[in-house]
Amino acid sequence: MEYLGLLNYALFMAIFIGIYALLALGLNIQWGFAGLFNAGIAGFFAVGAYTSAILTTEHADGRIGGFDMPFFVGWIGAMLAAALVAWPIGKICLRFRSDYLAIASIGIAEIIRLVVKSEPVLTNGARGISGIPRPAAEFPSLAQESAYMASQAAYLAIVIVVLIAAYLLVERQFNAPWGRMMRAIRDNEGAAKAMGKDVEFRRLQAFIFGSALMGLGGALFAHFNRSITPEAIDPMVATFLVWIMLILGGSGNNRGAILGAAVVWIIWSMSEIATDRLPTEYAIQAKYIRLFLIGLMLQLVLRFRPEGLLPEPLRGDRRATRSGADHT
Amino acid sequence: MKTKILALAASLMTATALASVPAKADVKIGLLGGISGPIAAMAPAMIDAAQLAFQQVNEQGGIGDGEKLVGVVGDSACNPQNGTDAATKAVNIEGVIGVVGPHCSGAVLAAAGSVTIPAGITMITPSGTSPEISTLDDKGTVFRTVPSDDYQGRALARTLKEQGYEKVAVAYLNNDYGTGLANAFKAEFVDELSGEITQFAAHEEGKASYRSNLAELAKGGADTLVIFDYGDGTGLTILRQALENGFFDKFVGGDGMKSEAVINELGAENLATFVSSSPVGEQSESLDIFNEAFKGIGGDPDAIFATTSYDAAFLLALAVEKAGGKKEDVAAAMAEVSNGEGEAIRPGEWKKAKELIAAGTAIDYKGAAGDHNFDEKGDVPGTYALWEVGANGFEVLTEMK
Amino acid sequence: MDFLELINFYVIPGIVLGSIYALGAVGITLIFAILRYAHLAHGDLATLGAFIALAVVTGLGISPLLALPIAIIATAAVAVGIDKVFYEHLRERPKIVTVMASLGIALMIRAVVQVVWGVDTETYSRGIVRPENYFGLRIRDREILTVIAMFALVGGLQLFLTRSKWGKAMRAMSDNPNLALLSGIDNKKVVMLTWVIAGGLCAASGVFLGLNTELKSLMGWQMLLPMFAAAILGGVGRIEGAVLGGLIVGIAEELSVLVIPSEYKAAMAFAILLFMLLVRPTGLLKGKVL
Repeated sequence: MEYLGLLNYALFMAIFIGIYALLALGLNIQWGFAGLFNAGIAGFFAVGAYTSAILTTEHADGRIGGFDMPFFVGWIGAMLAAALVAWPIGKICLRFRSDYLAIASIGIAEIIRLVVKSEPVLTNGARGISGIPRPAAEFPSLAQESAYMASQAAYLAIVIVVLIAAYLLVERQFNAPWGRMMRAIRDNEGAAKAMGKDVEFRRLQAFIFGSALMGLGGALFAHFNRSITPEAIDPMVATFLVWIMLILGGSGNNRGAILGAAVVWIIWSMSEIATDRLPTEYAIQAKYIRLFLIGLMLQLVLRFRPEGLLPEPLRGDRRATRSGADHT
Repeated sequence: MKTKILALAASLMTATALASVPAKADVKIGLLGGISGPIAAMAPAMIDAAQLAFQQVNEQGGIGDGEKLVGVVGDSACNPQNGTDAATKAVNIEGVIGVVGPHCSGAVLAAAGSVTIPAGITMITPSGTSPEISTLDDKGTVFRTVPSDDYQGRALARTLKEQGYEKVAVAYLNNDYGTGLANAFKAEFVDELSGEITQFAAHEEGKASYRSNLAELAKGGADTLVIFDYGDGTGLTILRQALENGFFDKFVGGDGMKSEAVINELGAENLATFVSSSPVGEQSESLDIFNEAFKGIGGDPDAIFATTSYDAAFLLALAVEKAGGKKEDVAAAMAEVSNGEGEAIRPGEWKKAKELIAAGTAIDYKGAAGDHNFDEKGDVPGTYALWEVGANGFEVLTEMK
Repeated sequence: MDFLELINFYVIPGIVLGSIYALGAVGITLIFAILRYAHLAHGDLATLGAFIALAVVTGLGISPLLALPIAIIATAAVAVGIDKVFYEHLRERPKIVTVMASLGIALMIRAVVQVVWGVDTETYSRGIVRPENYFGLRIRDREILTVIAMFALVGGLQLFLTRSKWGKAMRAMSDNPNLALLSGIDNKKVVMLTWVIAGGLCAASGVFLGLNTELKSLMGWQMLLPMFAAAILGGVGRIEGAVLGGLIVGIAEELSVLVIPSEYKAAMAFAILLFMLLVRPTGLLKGKVL
């Protein structure tokens, strides 16, 4: 029984890692390729999750919806919606320099969160949308225990398929002339402009693609839980955690993004188990201590391995070496 | 560095493996709550109240064959990401037989949808008030000891009308608790009872000043402000600033506002015109018993949702006992131990309940926060009273229907 | 609604709130200017300052105002300590790394506050304080104190920056760190001084927020984004700009309730920020564009 439990836990973690890996991949396109400091991931996550929810649920009074589409239509819709929202935001904000873009994007994510919370006609307001269909959830022929595991495994399979597809797509672009050009723009904008590259447009492209992936991650999350509520649009778990994953895994590196998602989520989740070893009187303080340890761990990683676990491969790129770390 | 990370991962894995070896014959129940995050101030009392229930169980014969009942605390941080994570760990690593919590409706919906419903684990939430919880496709495994917002909002509207409040302004916190209560209140007060709501405004939590909000609310000339917020948080700020600046003469709060913090920080002398609704057992004897017991372990019985948490935990323990410790039977047992028929069991009467269950007699739990007679959706109707601030804290003013 | 009501219920609270924001924004703008990154732990540092003052108030039984200098010194020391232990080692790295680190520090400080002081809402003194009536203006004494203290502290800072040797060194480092090094300025000391000032101002911001409302473990974090908005609004690196920005953000937040639904009040700071960045990224008083 214990092993079954561990396996279920592992499956669950893998699903979350997959979803976060998608978010980190999206962020990598924006930051790693194009040098855009997007701190509003939570906003695009929300747009994707809610769009998919609205498209795939049944009719509810007082709210738009009732389309009752199959889940993959919802997921495609999520990507489109996130991209559509990213477009005007990008047009307005991408000219800002990095720290300013960060704060502007946090602001936009906050505004999206407030709109989601306060407009019941669109999103059912603070109640959120539930009853979202989940693919491969029911296995009526199996016993309860096995059905639980099977449905998680099935969802994981779907997430992996989506992740691999996204990864291959992004890797291909990375190695293509488009990717090289993006990094050229990131590293030396002046030179790129002098070469006649339309910097604004390329940046916008990267921003939109990245946001679409983030929307997809949101949709996958919403369908896994069968509900989406505004509390999910929390800056800590939906934005900053993804940033930590990318920095830790190695920005500019797609595999690094996925690895970072895995390592950080495992540490995030398992740290609670570790701190729960404290005696029960401290059960509640243990949760605060856990967050302290996570902050501390972040410091240590950043100090000793700031380029991340998988530094960006040298392909005519100086960014990694600028940090002063050794490279072979 | 890679080796360091591998070592860290390996040690965490070992810790997990060690964690998953249960102590001899312990029965575990998950206590999931928003310990970090926006409701951090409210969670500890709720967890403590649940632990009180388990403590009483263990003192009075334990569960099943005298096994120890252990509450395993998990942090949902009041968001679905952490909520599902905590639920998964509780169910799969700790092997809990049931879950009390999570506290926030968003976490409840997510944890139920992705963990407890597929795994067939019974969940009973003491503070998830969203109507969405009623409509979950849960195969009868999700319960709550707190009524849906609809109920309390409407009951409060009726009681206020009875008490003579005709014209009010409503300020509500912009989350599912506040909006749910406010909308239900408005529907009943205005549409059904022809009362007048002059201003109806939401606010976000955590801002430093709500004076401009209050000024807006005061336009329209109502003399009463109804606040649907938490007395441990923003509700306190609003009440304070309203009192200090002379907005409104009378104040009404939902159950979130009935908190010791309000009396402690603002002073009973300033709260003469403040009333608040809060759940109370129909035989308020149950509530008294709980209050004594909770005070005995150093808790504040007025803490928000302490009563519902205690009831949820005690009910789950009763259900586990009745189900003979079998996970899959707990949900059905839950419906049976509190359906209005059977020998009355009050808070703390574990020994009596154990004997009755062993003898096969039906029992009916009468909780500190109400009778909790579950309907087919796992919801409870709830009984409320309107409380005012007296010399020794809150006192009942009148029952609410 | 008459003019006096407008002043009393919208403008005055806005000015008080704005002063609290300004105290934090000045620190943020200094760190932006001299260390060149966004310090995400600024809000939680303010929380720490407020709670340290609480400890002094409950321990020694003195008023929060008297506890303020102690809190300032303690928080300044903590800020310098954090820099020495954590940020210093990251100076050669890209700035994003330090920003991430400051996020981790924010978590750590908040956890310490929660473990040491718990998560209940606290205040410096029980009971309510009704405002006095000064010619029709309704102001509480502590509010006047907040605004005066803000101007005093920032004014003192400004004097320091313009008149004293170290102040000039700081301004030199803000303009051109390499040249500053060349002319013999000790960067390390300047950085330490920056943290002393930032930490101290954080403490003041936290204490006044606690004095005017309540103390909660998330109080600083919730102020973080308006403080950043204020700093950028005023122009990065400009102290007067941060003060102006803080006041504008505070007043705008309160006035916004007149035009937009009250649940969007929190978005006001961001809306202002976005608008400024679009229209005039150097800020109102022409600061630097990072």
